[in-house]
Amino acid sequence: MRTRPPKWPLLFLRWFCREDYLDEIEGDLIEIFLRRHAHSPAKARRQFLWNVLKHFRPEFIKPMRLKPYYNCTVMFRNYFKTSSRNLARNRGYAFINIAGLAIGVAVCMMIFIIIQFQTSFDDFHPKKDRIYRVLTEYHHSDAADMSHGQSVPFPMPEGLKTAFPQIEQVAPIYASHNDQLQVLDVNGGSVKNFKEQSGVFYTAPSFFDIFNFPLLAGSYASLKDPNNVLLTKEIAETYFGDWKTAIGKSIKLTVTYRIGAGLFQSPPIVLKVSGILATIPKNTDFQLKLVIAFGTDFTGDRLYGLQNPDWSGTSPDFGCYVLLPPNISVSNFNEQLSAYARKAQSPDNKDSYIVQPINAVHYDSETGNYSNKTISHELINVLWLIAAFILLIACVNFINLSTAQAVNRAKEVGVRKVLGSNKSQLLMQFIVETFLIVTGAVVLATGITILVLPFVNRLLDLSLSFNIFNNPAIILFLLAVTMSVTALAGFYPSIVLSRFNPVNALKSRLTVNASKGISLRRGLVVVQFIIAQALIIGTFIIVKQMNYFMDQPLGFDKDAIVNIPFRPDSTGSKLTDYLRQQLLSINGVQAVSFSSNTPVEDGNDIWSTFRLDPVKKGTDLNAIIKFSDNEYVPTYKLQLIAGRNLRPSGPTKEFLVNESLVRSLGLKKPEEILNKEISIWDGRIKCPVVGVVKDFNDRSFRHDLAPLLIATNSTMYRQAGIKLATTNISSTMQSVKKIWEQAFPDYVYEYRFLDDKIESFYKQESQLAQLYKIFAAIAIFLSCLGLYGLASFMAVQRIKEVGIRKVLGATAANIVYLFSKEFIVLIIIAFAVAAPIAWFCMHKWLQDYVYRINIDWWLFPAGGLVAIIIALVTISFQAIKAAVANPVKSLRTEG
Amino acid sequence: MKHPSIGEFEELVLLMVAALHDEAYGVSIQENLVEKLSKNINVSAIHVALKRMEDKGFVKSRFGGITEDRGGRRKKYYVITALGKRILDSQYELRTDLYKMIPKISFS
Repeated sequence: MRTRPPKWPLLFLRWFCREDYLDEIEGDLIEIFLRRHAHSPAKARRQFLWNVLKHFRPEFIKPMRLKPYYNCTVMFRNYFKTSSRNLARNRGYAFINIAGLAIGVAVCMMIFIIIQFQTSFDDFHPKKDRIYRVLTEYHHSDAADMSHGQSVPFPMPEGLKTAFPQIEQVAPIYASHNDQLQVLDVNGGSVKNFKEQSGVFYTAPSFFDIFNFPLLAGSYASLKDPNNVLLTKEIAETYFGDWKTAIGKSIKLTVTYRIGAGLFQSPPIVLKVSGILATIPKNTDFQLKLVIAFGTDFTGDRLYGLQNPDWSGTSPDFGCYVLLPPNISVSNFNEQLSAYARKAQSPDNKDSYIVQPINAVHYDSETGNYSNKTISHELINVLWLIAAFILLIACVNFINLSTAQAVNRAKEVGVRKVLGSNKSQLLMQFIVETFLIVTGAVVLATGITILVLPFVNRLLDLSLSFNIFNNPAIILFLLAVTMSVTALAGFYPSIVLSRFNPVNALKSRLTVNASKGISLRRGLVVVQFIIAQALIIGTFIIVKQMNYFMDQPLGFDKDAIVNIPFRPDSTGSKLTDYLRQQLLSINGVQAVSFSSNTPVEDGNDIWSTFRLDPVKKGTDLNAIIKFSDNEYVPTYKLQLIAGRNLRPSGPTKEFLVNESLVRSLGLKKPEEILNKEISIWDGRIKCPVVGVVKDFNDRSFRHDLAPLLIATNSTMYRQAGIKLATTNISSTMQSVKKIWEQAFPDYVYEYRFLDDKIESFYKQESQLAQLYKIFAAIAIFLSCLGLYGLASFMAVQRIKEVGIRKVLGATAANIVYLFSKEFIVLIIIAFAVAAPIAWFCMHKWLQDYVYRINIDWWLFPAGGLVAIIIALVTISFQAIKAAVANPVKSLRTEG
Repeated sequence: MKHPSIGEFEELVLLMVAALHDEAYGVSIQENLVEKLSKNINVSAIHVALKRMEDKGFVKSRFGGITEDRGGRRKKYYVITALGKRILDSQYELRTDLYKMIPKISFS
């Protein structure tokens, strides 16, 4: 038997080795193998394999090119030329193709920019991996579930420092709202008044050791001393004109602060500007404007303020951030934190604490953050999905049009094949052509994005910027989109085109073959309309839910009521009486009420536990407390269903309650609670109930009704509610403004209509609704663009058929019906798929709302009908054109 | 004119090609070198050196006839070129020159 070298190494050698070296190398190796084989066959085999492997080196490996391909540059030039000629000849199709793709890519790019911005929040801090926020884990006594909040007890920051020396930095932070500021001149006189809705923070220098907010002048350390303030460059420029001169200047600040359930006002304090912060980036949840030294005023107060060592004392605006050492186990740290909380807190306080990494803060809609802007991961995913779908629709358009046009290119393909092109070359040609179109579309899309971005910013209340040069991710994204769209849209048409049999192609016998293509095109049209119709139906439901928010009766009057911030002074009810008398003397003012807040608030409520004396049921019930004068009920038209309204009074003497509160106590009839005593704030206030109001929505529709207490207390009034006559509102407002400016010369006057405020609760939803409307419109537009192209192509293809039908007596209506029938069937099939998908998704979305609409059955056919009508209008352009054409013309020419 | 450079191992292979005159191909060069140097040399190293020297013009090659004991593959014979010979000469000269510069001292 002849000895043979091992098979696999030999095959491997033959696979990789250059042909011209193979004789020598293989020959030598076999010769060596045969000689060795005589001594030791096993060793020889091993040696052979080893020798083959040793030859696997660049010198001996075949060139990478699989086939000799010498004229590629010439051919590429030719591809470009034929592509551009072809595009120029079919301008209409080229336009539909490029425009459709460009819109799809632009939507994608826009969504990418939005997501990129949203996911970049607070990622510019060098220590971001170690920054954590301390969250309170509320354990409710009545329920097994727990909730989280960003406010922590006042002693937390100091306590952490002593109990956990391994923590590198601890920063307490208090976010103040609605602060009045006055710029002072050298003599202490006021120069200008300002009001900051938000952006005033109290914190310690350690905050800047944790976060990276560079300083232009001054020092962070100045925040160690009370009454120092850092301003951002922008604020310094608005206040003082030039930030360089701002240092050392004084600002007078009047602040209202929240501790526990109470709202307090401190006497004005004078702050000294001790530093200027560089512009705060847009992508941070700390939109700092003024940073005041922690320890100033109430933040330094050990008795009633933020230094109060009581572990049950907290403020909704008080939080704590820590910088943990590297390589710490977070779960372990959380356990230690809980153990520490058990020790520090009184035993009946079951709350515990956890740390949350900074990169989770922007997505946490449960606890929120200081910018009040969060975006859930689900929304990000939905946006991605929509981007992908819209791009898919655009690609489908492209595939449909190019395969439909394939017949026109058949001759070209035939000639090329006859002249020796092989399939892969033709494939290459059409891929190149697709690539050209896609590149054009991407360039166009970039232009569209730049033009549209300001509108998106305004719509979504974002500050996005598009700068391709300092944003490498965008370039990568565009490249990826170009590549994937080229592959997705170009691959199938290229295969179809390159597969043509040259003989058939040259004999124009391809129409028979194209029938298979039509069924695929039908499938794609169905896919497009599934997406478009699902979006339309979804948008219908979102819009309906939005309207429900706006139009649903809330149980009180919200029309033509204006709210103006108000600050009580030490005179008690004298000021309110004076203002009331002044306001009521204006012609258009119908009623005036002073209160802590409006009947409906979104996360701005004062809560307290309450108990009924003698204790009936449950000791730990929570209720919203509203302080208001006796005019509250008539001004907001609340309905009393038992008892009477409050009597005028400065201090708290009586309570009104709502039906929910009565029910929560287990009482059957509202009358049962009358004249019983309720105590709030751990018994600090204890008064009888004098009346019950009918339930109204005291929170946004995301939440159920909460138990409610209304009581007088003139020190707690923070705003006036003024009911206006609906005529001459602007002149009435002028008079109101005059009165206000007289009464509060130091403060910036501002007002807000109650219905606007309620609308703002649903800002995110209305933004989302706007966004979906746009997406649905784009989806249907793109689908119709494809349909239009397809219909016009069909009209050209079937021109003879139409001519013969007309000659045989078909009417124009028959022809239009002929054209429309096919597409209508497709849309109805798409509807059958889209409806359940839309129902499922929207049903899930609605579950977030306690108050939600029922998904009416008629919304679905309505969505389908809209799609059909739009599609019919699109098709009928072409169908009518074909139907009214003179058959003689089409039949006379032979082709 | 600057000669293309030659590596130490390439020089050995080139010497062997010259010595085996007309009978030099991969296996014969390897076997003779292993014998002379009494050290294991892989045939791939020989092949690499031959290819490089062929590119540099030190050797030229021709195919031999087909023989049975090579799985039907031809031998590739190498012969030294004039340039290769010159290189060897200059290397030899260089070495003897340097050798002569060694002072006559006893190394015992």
